[in-house]
Amino acid sequence: MRIVIAEDAAVIRAGLAEILTERGHEIVAAVGDAEALKDAVAARQPDVAIVDVRMPPSHTDEGLRAAIAIRRAHPGVGILVFSQYIETRYAADLLAMRSGGVGYLLKDRVANVAEFTDAITRIAGGGTALDPEVVSGLLNASRHASALSTLTAREHDVLALMAEGRSNIAIADRIAVSERAVEKHISNIFTKLGLPPSDSDHRRVLAVLAYLGT
Amino acid sequence: MTQEIAIADGRRGAVMNDNQNMTEPDAAWGAPFAKRAWAELRYALVTLPLSVVAVAFIVPMLYAGPLWAASAEGVWKFGAASRFLARKLLGEDVPAPPRPRSLVRYKVRTTDGARLAALVEEAGGKARVWEGKPGVTVKRLPPSRVAELAAEANVAIDEIRPGNSVINWMDGRMTNPVIWRARAYFGLKLPLAAAGLIVAAGCWLGGLYYLTAPAWWSLGLHGTLGFRITTLGIAFCLCPLGAALLFSGPGLLHGVTNVDCWLIRGLLGPSSPAERIRALEESRAIAVDDAAARLRGIERDLHDGAQAQLVALSMKLGLAREKLQDDERVDLARVTGLVEDAHRGILEAIVDLRTLARGIHPPVLDQGLADALVTLTTRSAIPVELVTDIPERPSDAIETMAYFSAAELLTNVAKHSGARHATLEAVHVPGLLRVRITDDGQGGARLVPGGGLCGLADRVRAVDGRVEIDSPRGGPTTVTVELPSHA
Repeated sequence: MRIVIAEDAAVIRAGLAEILTERGHEIVAAVGDAEALKDAVAARQPDVAIVDVRMPPSHTDEGLRAAIAIRRAHPGVGILVFSQYIETRYAADLLAMRSGGVGYLLKDRVANVAEFTDAITRIAGGGTALDPEVVSGLLNASRHASALSTLTAREHDVLALMAEGRSNIAIADRIAVSERAVEKHISNIFTKLGLPPSDSDHRRVLAVLAYLGT
Repeated sequence: MTQEIAIADGRRGAVMNDNQNMTEPDAAWGAPFAKRAWAELRYALVTLPLSVVAVAFIVPMLYAGPLWAASAEGVWKFGAASRFLARKLLGEDVPAPPRPRSLVRYKVRTTDGARLAALVEEAGGKARVWEGKPGVTVKRLPPSRVAELAAEANVAIDEIRPGNSVINWMDGRMTNPVIWRARAYFGLKLPLAAAGLIVAAGCWLGGLYYLTAPAWWSLGLHGTLGFRITTLGIAFCLCPLGAALLFSGPGLLHGVTNVDCWLIRGLLGPSSPAERIRALEESRAIAVDDAAARLRGIERDLHDGAQAQLVALSMKLGLAREKLQDDERVDLARVTGLVEDAHRGILEAIVDLRTLARGIHPPVLDQGLADALVTLTTRSAIPVELVTDIPERPSDAIETMAYFSAAELLTNVAKHSGARHATLEAVHVPGLLRVRITDDGQGGARLVPGGGLCGLADRVRAVDGRVEIDSPRGGPTTVTVELPSHA
């Protein structure tokens, strides 16, 4: 995959580049601020851009704003926003775009190299990758608390994993049940929450996120 | 509130008295050539032209209201010049009253004007309800506070917009009590300066003339000056008169100077409780902003420093773990390299965290300021000679402020002055902690708005202390920070 990295801390930029190159990806640009990021994406058309939220000059949310601008200008470029804190509002801003190919992860997740590269692959393929913290924030902040409370504990777990952007197989693997059982849980969840049934992993995730975000 | 003001003012008084004790050890009567008498003579001669110019500036400007406002800044500067001369020549340290500022006045559009006006008045502001239109004009309360009050009482505000800036400007200057008191000072100072001149001329010149009357007589000058010297006998009789004049001069001048100092304290200092409250509000705002900025700075340092290093470390170790789990072939050299990188990163993170922790509160400060300053000076980039005399410990907050002031000033010296050597003095006398840093650098340090020294001065002022900078071009530079013992 061709990847652009935008991150102002040189140590993290170098670390990311090292991990991704090791995995056979190509780092087409590694930049330190939002303007350079937009230029690099326009010039190199990467598969995925990894974007730090806080970058110069104001060190607030310029990365996030750049990510949203990139999504508008280049819808085909997958975007992984990553940061040292999870802000639920930022997650809501990202999800408001209502499209696949986005992710929002804590920087710590990079430590698990396999999961991290898996998330990037998912984003490049038009899927989503949300940090468990983002998901639990959304679940807690959701205005559909009463509907959510009708879910069983197991269904709740499945919903959270689905919201992170995982496929049925991955969920089954994670909670150690059969894929068939996961499908059954998911159909229960959709019925309880009154969501329209859907067979594609990706469309299902979007439905769930839209539900949590409204 | 009144009690607080009294305490704060008392403290300021203590600082001032201490200064006087230092600079005027003895103002004895009848010592015409004593240091103090010379200082007062110099003061009388320098302030005479100043008060003439000031009165010449002030009087024509009394013609109309707009001129009062236009001359306010100038009057303030004349007052500042008088305070400066009193401090430099007499050691009379009178803190500056607030500068004239535009009054913050703004218009609030709301349907419930009467209710909002009552809330504003209750909170200590001034409000005038509009006639014919729904809304109020508010003074003396920040817009944010008005919005807060309205939200608490469920009064809907449609719009807050600033009042006419010209009127705000005039309003803040025309009737400004600080400026009117300064005008009164110069009105009284002019006759006082004339009296000073008469005393100076009469006692010093007249005294010398009479004392030396026999010499004048022998030169054939039978001059006048009151007495016609017709015989040598009369000439000799005038000698004691001359001596008496000479010796009474310092006393009389001291009296005139004392009246002047009393006027300066009363009319050129921040005396009224309202002004004191305004000054306190200002310094409180600075203290609060400063605390918030410090926390933001610490967060930034953590985010960009140790936190980023630890994330990078977790990447290295994550990669290393993956390499070790490789079933086919473990690339030992690569894993060793990763672990070595991680190890180096950890050491850097530890150093970073240590520096940051010490920046928040140096642990050695718990042992006292003197010990903390020893560590500080040994870590300095240039050699620093340390002199401390702190028999009794000031309060924690003051020690911390003194420490960080010293640290900031030493950093400045090392960074900007080009000095090869510096001296750091910390002396605690009852009521006052003085930190003074002298360097042999190129000088030229100034208080620039928004600059580091200005920030330091603001922080010091927030606890009723003050910063003095003496830094002629070419050096040497002396920066003195004075803090009350307890904040």
